[in-house]
Amino acid sequence: MMRSQAMREMDHAAAGGMVALQSCASCGMAQYPPRSLCHACLSADLAWSRALSIEGVVLAATVLHHSHEPDFRSALPLRVGMVHLDCGPQAVCFVQVAEPGTRVRVTATLDAQGRAVLTAQPFSMPKETMG
Amino acid sequence: MNSDIVLVCPVTEPYVRRSEHDAAWFMGRVLSRLIAASGVGKADIDGLCLSSFTLAPDGPAPFLQYAGMSVRMLDWIPTGGACGIMAARRAIRAVAAGDAEIVACLAGDTANAGSFRDLLEGFSVFSRDAVYPYGAGGPNASFALITDHYMRKYGAVREDFGHLAVAQRRNAQGNPNALLRSPMTMEDYLGARPVASPIHLLDCVMPCAGGDGFLVMTRARADALGLASVRLLASIERHNAFSDDPMQERGGWLLDRDALWSKAGVGPQDMDAVQTYDDYPVISMLQFEGLGFCGQGEAASFLRGRDLTATGDLPHNTGGGQLSCGQAGAAGGYLGLVEAMRQLTGVATSQVARARHVLVSGFGMINYDRGLCTAAAVLAE
Repeated sequence: MMRSQAMREMDHAAAGGMVALQSCASCGMAQYPPRSLCHACLSADLAWSRALSIEGVVLAATVLHHSHEPDFRSALPLRVGMVHLDCGPQAVCFVQVAEPGTRVRVTATLDAQGRAVLTAQPFSMPKETMG
Repeated sequence: MNSDIVLVCPVTEPYVRRSEHDAAWFMGRVLSRLIAASGVGKADIDGLCLSSFTLAPDGPAPFLQYAGMSVRMLDWIPTGGACGIMAARRAIRAVAAGDAEIVACLAGDTANAGSFRDLLEGFSVFSRDAVYPYGAGGPNASFALITDHYMRKYGAVREDFGHLAVAQRRNAQGNPNALLRSPMTMEDYLGARPVASPIHLLDCVMPCAGGDGFLVMTRARADALGLASVRLLASIERHNAFSDDPMQERGGWLLDRDALWSKAGVGPQDMDAVQTYDDYPVISMLQFEGLGFCGQGEAASFLRGRDLTATGDLPHNTGGGQLSCGQAGAAGGYLGLVEAMRQLTGVATSQVARARHVLVSGFGMINYDRGLCTAAAVLAE
């Protein structure tokens, strides 16, 4: 399945263990999912920043017992949540915590199909256990 | 200005779990049923509003050639659960403006072994990029997050959702078009297997094939044809409202409901039945709140003491809703509207005793994290 051009920056960054985040060079608004224009001011002048991790708070979580893709079925049940990133937008992530309000550190890795995927871990977890 | 324009001939191409027919077949069958029910000729239909998820690569223009039609007004409304109400609004305006005399509004979709997965995988750019890779849970996962948030914030419990689902199943029992119409108890509901917590199997609509539609024309034309008609007193739509809410807990109805009730000249308390878009039960609750039946976050307690069956004090999704009938793709956005028309013309399978006013509400398009499209309409006999 195709990825949008805007996602490829995240895929490249995740290959190096980094999270790439898109923001507007004109108005400064951060946005996720990334796209080809700024959703706030419609500027095409977009910038990327990279970090080992970004921070946020869990808003909601679910445990998936069913997947539409055979590739995921052996991994079920899977915990997925919505994380409110401190920089503004919300991101669907694999989460290791179910409790909303938990502060998390979000990292990016490549999945089996070469897609950047985000994983949120409790902020208090020692960094060396991440990954 | 539009009071002389009416909705007639609610039709359904029966829902089936799976079909080898394509989407155009279901849409064409709906069209055929509209022609048979109304007595108009195919050539008399000069406007068309279409919705389908599985018609691709075709859109509305190829469908005209498929069905051998020529029209002078053509609308394509790809807004899922909001499409039926939006079609009615556009069709009424088209007739009022003289753009068309008879508009057929219809939606249809097919379903086969791979079609639902294909639909989900390619549903939208944001979904493909930033939701589907997270376990490919589809709408179950997205609505699970919305439901989880709603339950925690407002204290709704599973029994509150079960209250809606059990009543709808009861309403479906006489409906031959409902795929699920065997009796269902609260124990059945609570005991269903988890799909995406807190969503369990009986919170989910069953994807299926089928179609629904209706015609819009002048009252004079409907009367001349001897057709029972329904009026649309007022309607609203709103898209991508409250985009700054971190989690979706309300929809665009809230912004326009005062205008809706004011124009309709009636209020929530005057509704003889309510047809909400019930994919999933929590979304029905957002509609009761957004349309003014109760305050924000109060739907669970508001509905708890009410009988939601067709013979109850607040008849809701009287044909069984999508939870009982199935979700025939975009036709899910028509289901409440055709049921409202049947109630108001006295031909519903679970008939409300005296249906004079019925509210229909729609919700559609989980593009990333929330449904973007909302609509509502007050219909009268």
